[in-house]
Amino acid sequence: MLFCFVPLAMVVVASFLSKDSNHLVSLPFTLTNYAELFSPLFAKVFIRSLLIALFTTLCCLLIAYPFSYLLTKSKHQSVLLILIIIPFWTSSLVRTYSLIAILKFNGILNTLLLKIHVIDHPLSLLYSNFAVLTGLVYNLLPFMILPIFTNMERFDFRLIEAAKDLGASRLAIFFRVFLPNTAGGIISGCLLVLLPAMTLFYIPNVLGGARSILLGNMIQNQFLVLENWPQGAATSLLLTVLLFILLFFFRRYNREIVH
Amino acid sequence: MYKLIFLLFSLGCNTLLASNVVNVYAWGGELPKEVIQQFEHETGITVNFSTYDSNETMYAKLKAGRRNVYDVILPSAYYVERMQKQNMLAKIDHSKLTNLINLEPLFLHNEYDPGNQVSVPLIWGATGIFYNQDWVKTPPHAWNQLWDKRWRQQLLFLDDAREVFSIALMSLGYLPNDLDPEHIKAAFQKLRTLIPNIKLFASDSIQAIIIDEDAIAGVAWNGDAFKAHAENKQINFVYPVDGFVIWVDCLAIPANPPHPQEAYQFINFMLRADTAVQIALIEGHAITNAAGKALLPAAIRTNPMVYPPPETLKRGHFQRDVGDETIALYNQYWEQLKLAF
Amino acid sequence: MKSLVQKLYLSLVYCILYFPILVLIIYSVNDARFSLQWHGFSGQWYRELFQDRGLWSAFFHSIGLGLAASFIATSVGLLACVHLFLHRHPYRRSLFAMLLLLVIIPDLVLGVALLIFFNVTAVPLGFFSLLIAHITFCIPFVLLTINTRIHTLDANIYYSALDLGASRHTALAKILLPLLWPAVLSAFLLCFTLSFDDVIISYFVAGPDFNILPLTIYSLVRAGVTPELNALCTITFLISMMLVIVSHRLSRKTS
Repeated sequence: MLFCFVPLAMVVVASFLSKDSNHLVSLPFTLTNYAELFSPLFAKVFIRSLLIALFTTLCCLLIAYPFSYLLTKSKHQSVLLILIIIPFWTSSLVRTYSLIAILKFNGILNTLLLKIHVIDHPLSLLYSNFAVLTGLVYNLLPFMILPIFTNMERFDFRLIEAAKDLGASRLAIFFRVFLPNTAGGIISGCLLVLLPAMTLFYIPNVLGGARSILLGNMIQNQFLVLENWPQGAATSLLLTVLLFILLFFFRRYNREIVH
Repeated sequence: MYKLIFLLFSLGCNTLLASNVVNVYAWGGELPKEVIQQFEHETGITVNFSTYDSNETMYAKLKAGRRNVYDVILPSAYYVERMQKQNMLAKIDHSKLTNLINLEPLFLHNEYDPGNQVSVPLIWGATGIFYNQDWVKTPPHAWNQLWDKRWRQQLLFLDDAREVFSIALMSLGYLPNDLDPEHIKAAFQKLRTLIPNIKLFASDSIQAIIIDEDAIAGVAWNGDAFKAHAENKQINFVYPVDGFVIWVDCLAIPANPPHPQEAYQFINFMLRADTAVQIALIEGHAITNAAGKALLPAAIRTNPMVYPPPETLKRGHFQRDVGDETIALYNQYWEQLKLAF
Repeated sequence: MKSLVQKLYLSLVYCILYFPILVLIIYSVNDARFSLQWHGFSGQWYRELFQDRGLWSAFFHSIGLGLAASFIATSVGLLACVHLFLHRHPYRRSLFAMLLLLVIIPDLVLGVALLIFFNVTAVPLGFFSLLIAHITFCIPFVLLTINTRIHTLDANIYYSALDLGASRHTALAKILLPLLWPAVLSAFLLCFTLSFDDVIISYFVAGPDFNILPLTIYSLVRAGVTPELNALCTITFLISMMLVIVSHRLSRKTS
């Protein structure tokens, strides 16, 4: 626990310091780092990153939820679970380059579609929002599947039988019985996907052609290019606080559904 | 179980202070492993080789560390300037580098490190325009021409704020290391009009992009264009008439290295003519080593892509440090530019 | 019919997950250094791989580090989760909130913060700094995963076991652990995956003498990812698959 909190504390402290060209952080304490953050630039970058992250989370959820359900019904759960993880033991960088090979102008997908005459000209799939979304969803899918599955697996399916006996319709069973009881897994899954999706920038850069600036790029610039570590720390903390607020509302809303 | 723990523990105890070791921290893709292995074989010194992909991350790591753990680093010229101002580099004793005379005078007598007090140039390159002959019938030969309407959504640009702004500055007739905020602002506004023409920004693995025709023209380093040409003969490279940026990667020793003797041996080895030839042949970059260049096959030595003739080189400008405020200005405009997409 | 659709959906998702891997494997025999298009067969990259001492040592270092970090993180996380669950700690909520912070904070910031931390506490950069760093960022994930599962349990199971005379140890190992097993396994796998593939944090806290695979790969990015890496990833993949098949056969025999 110690190792978690001390670095965090250092980041908080650093965000209040000012910048000095010889040392990375120095006195005096100041709030100017935070003042500089309340600019339209930060807001635009934040909203962009948030939109991409939300879309990614939604796609992951839509794919993972039915998938986890089917997984709980199957007889070879451990094996199937491990089979999801194995592709991710290969380096994400190399996998991203595989995705590039698939989505390129002369790539595998285009070649295939041309061969079966679905399209006439190759599609420009790479360096677009579609490519970025594909890359993010592909890399974050297991983070959604695992929590949802571990939660769903514990669900007592007799509740569904009971509901059926009581005459409830299929839709009602889903929304009133199944969904609220698996909400815990959904929240964890969404968290584990949304948060990295907001700060991951390497994959969107490579697949999107680096034409957009996201939060991760911004923080990286502050730390490395500008060497303004206090500013970088301040941005990270502000981001954390904003996300916390989002989380708080999300949990509140979810608790209302459950009760 | 305990054996595993013991093994891990002994791995962890591999101390840096063991002798006959040298810790080298260099750009990825510039010092080939064959050269490193040859050095290890000839001298018996083990090389702990780590790499970085940008000057900024190298700088951050060196700054944040309490004790310097690296013996040899390979920063770009403008970072040599920067680090020297902050006394992060050790003075180089020229008497220990017998192979220093192999280097070309053009790189020995430079402005970023007069007298080569803290650095030794090793590899250099230039940023220019590449194009694919299959698709491009009239090649561009000035930066200004990249603003033409025919390049709509076609161009590949380097993902580096300074390189991109240098291009805009040169297209306006200014110098790439310009400090004047008015000029930089003008460059920014010119770049905004270029946005429709840019297909993507990339600095990594651009050879694949060039070879596979994901971009038919754009900005690239001469070394990358040369390597791309080897796999796709339609690729060609141009040194623009309105000027171009020259970068130099130099070997340097950070202040207080743990193994200074080995550091000098390593650098001296890199300055040998045959080592330089290996570097040039395997990684495809241009070398600063005159003796080495003389040993290269004629096809490479006289290739204008990698080694442009002196009249062309005159139009080049070495990349220099511009100071913190200007960098902040560049970064501000760069972020605004990317937001406009 | 319904069961066919279900099976199709499952297989479809698996296909999508594995298709890029298939591409990766095919390109490991591609006769081209830089190009990402097919140019014909070549076994050259496998030959280069087997001679590349540096890449292999980085590979084994990463595996060792991943196993150690996952094992420690999972154990610590499990104990922490169980403790918090059983004893209704007053600061439970805020503790979780703090850990969540670690997940939110960008890798870059955490990496730098850890570097400064090691700087101040004079921990030498190398295997141990990497181990500590990896455990630090893995623990929140362990806690999140195990937590979703532990809340579906009834704490009274544990207390009844104690009442019936079981020691704390037995109650933990024989009652709680089997119930939590899928979550623990998921957490362990998640940790290993995160650790094996981590680039940014490892970059800042790694020392020159302990090379790990993701950093080696990342360094090649500038020059162009070589098919040699594809060859290495193909071999990793095949080994993992074999391990899974073997363990599945073994577990079938025992049950």
